[in-house]
Amino acid sequence: MLPRQIVNLAALLSLLLGSGAHELPRPSSVWFEAEFFHHVLYWTPIPNPSESTYYEVELLRYGVEPTYWKPIRSCSQMLAMSCDVTMETLDLYRSNGYRARVRAVDGSQHSKWTFPETRFSMDEVTLTVASVKLEMRNGNIVGAIQLPRPEVAPKGDTYENIFHNFREYQIEVRKVPGHYESHGKVKNESFKLPIPRGVGEFCVRVKPSVGSRVNKEVWSKEECILLTSQYFTVTSISIFFTFILLLYGALTFCLAFQLYVRRRGKLPAVLVFKKPSPFNLISQFSHPETQDTIHTLDEEAFPKVTPELRDSDMHGSTDSGFGSAKPSLQTDEPQFLLPASDPQAGGTLEKGLPQELENNCGSGGGSNSADSGICLPDPRLCPGAEPSWGPQVGSDSRDREDSGISLVQNSRGQPEDAQGGSASGHVSPLGPEEPAEEDSVAGAFQGYLKQTQCPEEKAAVLEEVSSSAEDLDPQFRTCLDTEAGWPLPALAKGYVQQDSPEMILAPLQTPEGQWDQPNEDWSLLGLTSCGDLGTPDWSFAHDLANLDCVPAPGGLLGSFDSDLVTLPLITSLQSTE
Amino acid sequence: MKALCVSLCLLGAGLFLCSAHTRGLRRCLISMNLHHMEDSFRGIKAAIQAKDTFQNVTILSPSETLHGIKNLLAFYVDRVFKDHQELNPQIMRKISSLANSFLYMQKTLQQCQKLCHCRQEATNATRIIHDNYDQLEVRSAAIKSLGELDVFLAWIDKHHRGTSAASRQGT
Repeated sequence: MLPRQIVNLAALLSLLLGSGAHELPRPSSVWFEAEFFHHVLYWTPIPNPSESTYYEVELLRYGVEPTYWKPIRSCSQMLAMSCDVTMETLDLYRSNGYRARVRAVDGSQHSKWTFPETRFSMDEVTLTVASVKLEMRNGNIVGAIQLPRPEVAPKGDTYENIFHNFREYQIEVRKVPGHYESHGKVKNESFKLPIPRGVGEFCVRVKPSVGSRVNKEVWSKEECILLTSQYFTVTSISIFFTFILLLYGALTFCLAFQLYVRRRGKLPAVLVFKKPSPFNLISQFSHPETQDTIHTLDEEAFPKVTPELRDSDMHGSTDSGFGSAKPSLQTDEPQFLLPASDPQAGGTLEKGLPQELENNCGSGGGSNSADSGICLPDPRLCPGAEPSWGPQVGSDSRDREDSGISLVQNSRGQPEDAQGGSASGHVSPLGPEEPAEEDSVAGAFQGYLKQTQCPEEKAAVLEEVSSSAEDLDPQFRTCLDTEAGWPLPALAKGYVQQDSPEMILAPLQTPEGQWDQPNEDWSLLGLTSCGDLGTPDWSFAHDLANLDCVPAPGGLLGSFDSDLVTLPLITSLQSTE
Repeated sequence: MKALCVSLCLLGAGLFLCSAHTRGLRRCLISMNLHHMEDSFRGIKAAIQAKDTFQNVTILSPSETLHGIKNLLAFYVDRVFKDHQELNPQIMRKISSLANSFLYMQKTLQQCQKLCHCRQEATNATRIIHDNYDQLEVRSAAIKSLGELDVFLAWIDKHHRGTSAASRQGT
């Protein structure tokens, strides 16, 4: 009896010990973590595992006969806590799912099986995308969602085929380093986002979902794009090139118009004036016979011109002095004294001179005259009064527009010049005697030469003029013979004013070379003037003085032809200031 | 005038019948909110399937026809929801939601029954399901049947896509 009880107790003890010895703690939990065609079974390790502890994994295809547990040898690794069972569950998306179980094994010992709480089906698959590609296009951010394409997936089992309907994607955007902001859901794998304001780096992430399913969803990795200022867009480049074309078109039009205007604006050949060249001066020097010579006039030798000339229109003419001859010169006004070769000639001249001339010069000579007439000096300046230049009372010599010489009357006299100026006309240049009145005198001097002659010397002058008439230059002869009243332009370009009709204005042809001509002003009619000629600026005046033209009653002027008396000789003097 | 009124009335009745017929067709296709049902099942799946101890036994056999789905709806409504005893109120609420959705679908499909031709295969498939259910203990069978609702919903989704495509091709 007693041995049976002992055997039973021993058997009972051995059973208890054996169960405990072969009993390893089982894994506390087993679960699946799966993505599209990436299925992994996880388990928690047993407490205090040994180095030889490993885990056995078995799978069951649910609802497919014959139902059996298939061991997965690849999962029985030492100290492994997970196992990739993708290759064993490729038909997951076409079946009712799989059941799994895991147990620990350590040598001859093994634990109990541990099951996942739920059946492993496609509902357990976490939805995700592979990546997102971003690019700038037409002012928008265009995104392309790249779906997962696992290589182990069977042919035909794509994401789009398995989850055919109700695919959606949640989009979020953030500007670095800000937070994400939702931009709504899209139902396609491509989307457009308007370019956010500002420039910088923008990141986008996407979370997929299926409207008819309750699968887990995870955000994709963010994809960033750097936005810079859109300077070179199609619009800006097109506007720039359009502006360039318009600019070139406007420039071309302006150039063409300018060329057209220039061609139409050509001057006639007659009005094209040639600029003076040095060669012209040389030619003038080589042909002294064509030059205007300056001759001093003896007032006494020339009959006076009527004073009407002072107020006549000829003073206002703008010609060279020889074209505005008027009968008023024949008045008895002793403003312009013409030399006479004989008393008859002098008397004729005296008669011929218009009274107007005397009046004209008496008030100041050729002031306000714009013509080329003759302005005779005031007889009150005699005897021997040196005409000094000054502005006319009641007149403005600067108003003259002609090219003649305007003689300005001045009451002052210089007795020392009386002798010099008694026999012949004076050429009293402008200058230092009247510095204050230089401006008006300079203007007056452009067309007229004022001379003063003593009445008692005029007759002698006339005789001298008449005797020397034959020696005169042929051109001057022609001038003297002219009864028109004013000398021809070939001789002079201005006027010589004389204050007595006895005076004869006669040009004296001087030898060549004795004249020290001014630089450019050549239009002077040389007059033999004895005495002080005034300013040293008149180089020709010095020459005249060197000629020993001692004024004597009559003088050279007295040798003039009587015909000369009838013609008022017009000389022009140009100041060489 | 009276003839015109009669003709107009007949025309209106005919339009009404056609619209009812069209609505009935649309009901067969539209009246199922699968997402709601799947969401409800997700809430009870872990609790229900964890209690399923018979891992290698399957109750639902594949039935993808419209008649098979209508029979399964009757199976769940008439046997499974009635045999399951749930103590957890949260789980009970979701199971009730599922039961109501199944009832609505059952009534909708009853109108579509006239338009479909029922086949013998669908009848045989329904008999197998009932036999499998009867081999287990009632509470275990009910738990296992509730645990297999995801399979049933997948069949419904598949049938819904197929019928939707057919209706789009017909119109």
